[in-house]
Amino acid sequence: MLKVENLVTKFGSVIALDGVSLSAQDSKITTVIGANGAGKSTLLRTISGLEHPSQGSITWQGESIVGRRPEDIVRMGIAHVPEGHAVISELSVEENIAMGSLFRRRKFKSDVQVAIDEAYQLFPRLLERRKQLAGTLSGGERQMLAISRALVSRPKLLLLDEPSLGLAPLVVEQIIDSVNILCRTTGLTVLLVEQNANTALGVADHGVLLSLGKVVADRPAAELKADASLRAAYLGY
Amino acid sequence: MNTFLAALFSGTSRGAIFALVALGLVIVWRGAGIVNFAQMGQAMFSTYIASTLITNGSSYWVGFVVALLSGAALGSILDVLVMRPLSNKKKTELLGSESMRAAVPVLASLGILGALQALAGIIWAAEERGFPAPAKQEGFTVAGNAMPFTAFDVFVIGSVAVTLILTTLFFKKTSMGLAMRATALNQEVAKLSGIRTNRTRTLSWAISGASSSLAGLLLTPSSNLSPNTLDLALLIGFTAAVVGGLDSPAGAVLGGFILGMVISFVTFYDTPEDVFLAILVVLLLALIVRPRGILGSKDARRV
Repeated sequence: MLKVENLVTKFGSVIALDGVSLSAQDSKITTVIGANGAGKSTLLRTISGLEHPSQGSITWQGESIVGRRPEDIVRMGIAHVPEGHAVISELSVEENIAMGSLFRRRKFKSDVQVAIDEAYQLFPRLLERRKQLAGTLSGGERQMLAISRALVSRPKLLLLDEPSLGLAPLVVEQIIDSVNILCRTTGLTVLLVEQNANTALGVADHGVLLSLGKVVADRPAAELKADASLRAAYLGY
Repeated sequence: MNTFLAALFSGTSRGAIFALVALGLVIVWRGAGIVNFAQMGQAMFSTYIASTLITNGSSYWVGFVVALLSGAALGSILDVLVMRPLSNKKKTELLGSESMRAAVPVLASLGILGALQALAGIIWAAEERGFPAPAKQEGFTVAGNAMPFTAFDVFVIGSVAVTLILTTLFFKKTSMGLAMRATALNQEVAKLSGIRTNRTRTLSWAISGASSSLAGLLLTPSSNLSPNTLDLALLIGFTAAVVGGLDSPAGAVLGGFILGMVISFVTFYDTPEDVFLAILVVLLLALIVRPRGILGSKDARRV
């Protein structure tokens, strides 16, 4: 289980996270929703070690991970797929995927190829395009690639930042479905950040609503989805 | 016709060396985001180490290998002791703006250059000394005619070709090479993928140190060795890297050969005194006509 308590992250004098507490239960999908600038991305970036919090704690499976480097946090089983289909355009699809498993190639040699094959099974379109440069892929394919890159590190917790950003509804549905299946069949824990609240709450078990760096609601996803007043006040629809 | 061939051959041989210098600059630029002005100071230092070994009775090849290894070691040490702390976001926060922070390591590299030259002067005395070549520097003779091509030229081109092939294979075919390319292209994604970017940075300093030491070993036989001998080579290598594209290894090699030809043809058809001017003209032209370089990518940062 991931437990975040009273987390504060600042950029200079701007407070992006203002005492955020939440948790992600094992083998469940927890979604963090909120408007632009609510601090959703900063939350994930602080968990994965890209940003350093000025206060608060982050505990993963009972161990504090604050102050550790991203390279070490991924080795502890937390994989982060950052916003904007983060792949390396100048590298091929194959290389992008291989990149995610480089650190496992000695200790878990026999499993590296298995993990890569599983990623291709999940997203067969990547297999067809494995020799192509990532920059030539469509937005949806790039998102699949970014997720695959994270999956081959064999995470126990997947941090997904706005996978729906800029994608057609059909593609979004396909990607969210894949993540959902992954969670239900392999027991992967997912922390999903979304602006697209409806889609996210549709698959999630639990929902957290962030506004201006603070948690304003923390409830089962279905309850949050049904609360029209919260939606109107914080998400504007 | 004979002058033309001579210029062509000499241009190829010099160009090969400048390609190495430019490649060293590009590898550190890509791997660490720094233009390393100390590079040929490092090369000078390791060439002096080789020279000391050779004058004390070691074979040329022992000196050669030791110079490459010490070039790699010196590069790594500079990164770990100087560049890594200077690139630390937290420690340089006082400096404020991003561009200020980016300038600090570059200025530091100039300081390192001065320090290495002073140190070499103290250790080895500032006067010039010769440096041996592993092969003859007189032209081949064919049917009694002296050809403009020497056995040393063959050695130069051969060793540069081997270096280029090995580095290409390393970057394209090995896991470590992939990790280094990933770090160069997108440090954040590389880190999130579990790549220890501090290590890949240091490795790029080591590779660059070794390849520029090779350039030093190949340049000094035709001049002499002094703490400042390789200053011009840095300017030429930098121009070559700008011409080819500071973020493109293939561009660096291409730029190196272009500069080699320019210098050689100016030397043969005009006068060696104009070489310096010619280099500056090429640098200016490159910056005006195609600032990102022939093979450089569009969004590369400019310095």
